Amino acid sequence: MTVIPLKQPSTVQQDIIRLEGIVKGFGSAQALAGASLVVRRGTIHGLVGQNGAGKSTLIKLLAGLHQPDSGRIEIEGQTFDRLTPHLVEELGIHFIHQDRLLIPTFTVGEALFLGREPRIPGTPFLDRRLMQRRAADLLNDYFGVLLPNTALISDLSTAEKQIVQITRALLNQPKVLVFDEPTAALVRREADILFRLIRRLRDEGVTIIYISHYLNEIEDLCDHVTVLRSGQDVASLPIAETSAAAIARLMVERDIQDMFPKPAVALGDELLKIEKLSAPGKYEDVSFTLRRGEVLGLTGLLGSGAKELVRTLFGLEKPASGRIDIGGRAVHFSNPTQATSSKVALVPEDRRRHGVALDLSVKENTSLSSLDRFTRFGFLDRKSEQRDVDALIARLQVKASGRDALLRTLSGGNQQKVAIAKWLSRHSEVYLLDEPTVGVDIGSKVEIYTLIGELAARGAGALVLSSDLPELIGISDRILVFFRGRIVREFKSSETTADKVLAESTGSPEGQRHVS
Amino acid sequence: MSAEAEFAPSRFSSVERSDRPAGNITAAALRFGSLIAFTAILIVFSITAPYFLSVVNIGNVLGQSAISGVLAIGLTIVLIAGGSNVVTGGIDLSLAANMGLSAAVYASLTQLGYGDVAAITASILTGSLIGLVNAIAVVYAGIVPLLATLAVMNIVSGLELVLTGNTVIPASTPCLSALSASDAFGIPILAYVLIGFTVFATAIVQYTPLGLRLYAVGEFPDAARAAGLPLRRLLAGAFIASGVCGGLSGILSVSYLSGSTTGSGEMLLPVVVTALLGSVFSRRLVPTITGTLLSALLVGFLGNGFQLLNILSTLVSGVQGLLILIVVSATTLLRRQEA
Repeated sequence: MTVIPLKQPSTVQQDIIRLEGIVKGFGSAQALAGASLVVRRGTIHGLVGQNGAGKSTLIKLLAGLHQPDSGRIEIEGQTFDRLTPHLVEELGIHFIHQDRLLIPTFTVGEALFLGREPRIPGTPFLDRRLMQRRAADLLNDYFGVLLPNTALISDLSTAEKQIVQITRALLNQPKVLVFDEPTAALVRREADILFRLIRRLRDEGVTIIYISHYLNEIEDLCDHVTVLRSGQDVASLPIAETSAAAIARLMVERDIQDMFPKPAVALGDELLKIEKLSAPGKYEDVSFTLRRGEVLGLTGLLGSGAKELVRTLFGLEKPASGRIDIGGRAVHFSNPTQATSSKVALVPEDRRRHGVALDLSVKENTSLSSLDRFTRFGFLDRKSEQRDVDALIARLQVKASGRDALLRTLSGGNQQKVAIAKWLSRHSEVYLLDEPTVGVDIGSKVEIYTLIGELAARGAGALVLSSDLPELIGISDRILVFFRGRIVREFKSSETTADKVLAESTGSPEGQRHVS
Repeated sequence: MSAEAEFAPSRFSSVERSDRPAGNITAAALRFGSLIAFTAILIVFSITAPYFLSVVNIGNVLGQSAISGVLAIGLTIVLIAGGSNVVTGGIDLSLAANMGLSAAVYASLTQLGYGDVAAITASILTGSLIGLVNAIAVVYAGIVPLLATLAVMNIVSGLELVLTGNTVIPASTPCLSALSASDAFGIPILAYVLIGFTVFATAIVQYTPLGLRLYAVGEFPDAARAAGLPLRRLLAGAFIASGVCGGLSGILSVSYLSGSTTGSGEMLLPVVVTALLGSVFSRRLVPTITGTLLSALLVGFLGNGFQLLNILSTLVSGVQGLLILIVVSATTLLRRQEA
């Protein structure tokens, strides 16, 4: 597309999308606090930010799935009070979602044309042959992919499914295509095909919004980048004026410092030792040790294997090979019960579903998994249970109306404290904390950090999986960075910075780009 | 922030691929296995009971399968649009009771002196109203189909009792006699009705955009929503269509039994078997109308063969139960493997 600056018709706007000062809250949490996104026509626009920075919320707003509390939405020079999914589609904005919305038992043709199926002229019947032929033509034209006519979606690889989904969007002749983490599940070669296609679409005049955690992709592919942090756009600049390292710094800078009270703890004996643990497709050749009194941070993107490793240590998944020692003895967990009896505790990310029972009281949640400690001759010793629970509530500073308050009535941070208290009550020793402060207010965050520090001081060991890097650096002794299934780097927390860790976990360590 | 899902539990993608061939082999084994089992049953019966493969006997089986076949086709439509998860997916337990009430309505009206046209209209209307109640309960009140249609089943069989006083109501009209007759070759007219209805339903469900959309809604509602399909209307329509099938089979049963009889509820198990079993006859292991016809015939031939061999008919129900177990466990295992 050639742009002739002065003779441009007045109806065509330079900026195809202008979102300005968008504010959006969910309950007490503010996801967007005045974020702006201005996308120029015919460019590839990168959108980056850490988890919780507000990317998803902003994109869902653009998709018409959320409505902003305040702010201005302007598309093609038209101002809108609210967007609906239907309206957005009419405006020519289409989305390639992270989760592939394709029906597994459909053929490729059926999946492509669902909702606007061609009919055999003069009949109410589907023209399956035409669907197949056009599907084959389109896939071949855009991707050079030949798929058998009868192939079902469930037969396709992840990359092929994504190709089908992109083709589905192209059938709408989109003006704007939004890619949400498109390469998270692709191998390098497949990603390269995707990048070529994205550039070609841009050259054909389609505007692209590209969301990714992989900063080197952003640097290579995008013309322009907007960085979100804590619900605001902290920078929006041409890619030529920045670099992956600079973007990483913008993403993680913090206003609040010194909120991580990690006490100095002398490290004790080896508590957990992992040797050459592998689970093909999840993680490979993982070895590390955790000592008493140590807080070990783990971080990595979705699919990096860190999460799967944590699940393995709690008996939720099985490794294919390798060795796990706890307190010097080899263990093989095939279920969480075995893990808990080896004094392993898991505080899961999704606490509402897996961590606590919302309709039970603080007391019940705290003592449920350790009831045998309060049982005398088969009966529950209520007094000792209550004493124990009250002591824990006081120690963790759980803000609740009492030990009988339902968990549902507590704030996120206090629910999380109860989730941890549950394990304290069991006298667990190896604590696996998965995103312990997600959806937790600042005050409770600090209290949870303090609690993790106390765990270590009492001789337990903690493995903290977090994508909040300043947090992780603040509370841990060491950090292991996972990338595509392997530990790619170990940092001493006192000697690193969030942008260095981020660069490693996004596969673009300084001075060594294009890691595949 | 909870709105972000990047670190949410997820499958690691490259694993999918390695599972695929195994899943395909199992799927193929199940599919061809079911066809082989079907033919094996036919062969065994035809050897042990010479009369089994005669045109008249096959016609009879078709005719006898007409009522349950039409019901099973109705249930198949609900299975398609509601998803084939037996517990949370689409199911219509009110179908057999629906047939009973529609038959009672037909017979009662003829007793009152109304003609065939009025009686047919009333039966179909009864069926579709029951379907509508199901649709409202499931789609708009959001009750799980298993529970919603169970409740409706009880209401409907209660209404039938009120209407008939738990007695047989005889009915004989020109239309009914025509339906229950046989043609020059001794093949029951009901056999042709079943074939005709199957062709009609197949054309709509397997060959129109509407049918494709029903599958989309049932299998992956999020994908259907993303494709802009009206989910609620499609699902509600499926329940109403199933209700219409109930009304239609009510008419067939009045003609077959020369009146409305009690005990329609006993049809429920065979119909559920038939519809669930149907999916093993499709390439994609999904419920299809033709697959349902095949399984209706399989169930029919089983009963017929047992009769010809003088095997206790009480065993038939046991065999049917066994079939459900096998099919549901096999498809559940397959789906788990693919998930």
